[in-house]
Amino acid sequence: MDARSTTPEETTLQPQLESEESENNGRIPGNRGMWAGILAEMTEFGLLFGVYFVARFYNPESFQLGPGQINTLAGTANTVMMISGSYFVAKAIQTIRIDNRAATLRWLFLVLLTIVGYATIKSLEIQWNIENGVNGRSGVFFTVYYYLTFTHMVHVLWGGMGLLWIMLRTHSGHYSSESHEGMESFASYWHATDLVWLVIFPLLYLLR
Amino acid sequence: MSKLPHNRLLDLLWIVLLALTLGGSWLGESSPPGIGLGLFVTLVIAVKGRIVIDHFMELKNANATLRRLMHLYFYLIPLVAFLVYLTNIIKL
Repeated sequence: MDARSTTPEETTLQPQLESEESENNGRIPGNRGMWAGILAEMTEFGLLFGVYFVARFYNPESFQLGPGQINTLAGTANTVMMISGSYFVAKAIQTIRIDNRAATLRWLFLVLLTIVGYATIKSLEIQWNIENGVNGRSGVFFTVYYYLTFTHMVHVLWGGMGLLWIMLRTHSGHYSSESHEGMESFASYWHATDLVWLVIFPLLYLLR
Repeated sequence: MSKLPHNRLLDLLWIVLLALTLGGSWLGESSPPGIGLGLFVTLVIAVKGRIVIDHFMELKNANATLRRLMHLYFYLIPLVAFLVYLTNIIKL
């Protein structure tokens, strides 16, 4: 018998598996409306990264010296917050899929803590900048730095409001293993906001 | 890695992302500017992006158009960042 031949059970299962796979391949995490927003967000930041590239191309010295004058520790700590928030929300999706609402709420609460952590670190960083004479008029690098990081902060704060809504809906039993599209939409938005920071951090804080 | 249950894979990837972040920060602070630093930092952007897109966002086995668009973004941005950084190194 050919080693690659299939048993009758496998033959019966094959079309079903293929159908499930193709269904999965067309699946959109969350809903289409949220993905329109995510693609708009990625485009918005794509344009801002374009501004960064042009400014860097024409002002190499300013962009080589700039990262040394901002707080790398704050940038690193906020990256830890963003990555962890993204991980916690992925875990929340895992737990709602098995109808464990209590665990889902705990993971979502951890996401909230990362947002509070991010906002606290960001305010300390701005205070540190002011004390060290760094502001938006300190040079082209700092103008780009403030534009990129403030725009990202606005997206984080929007996400924070969305998270509170999702937590409320989870608490009221709105989501289940069968129906959690709203939570998946929020998770996709939050991962996109994390992705943007994963570009901002090295461009501004590390590439000197 | 894909043989791991998804839950365990998420745990592992979180640790990988944290290690890349801390390692990248240490290297960025301690290394002199140069092609090596530029290459490492931009490669890390691409790797981290791919991890989040494929596994946290779960696009690896989902809608192909969205997955390709997001992957493309994380090929283009690191590539352009490296090329611009390279021109900076040459100019300075």
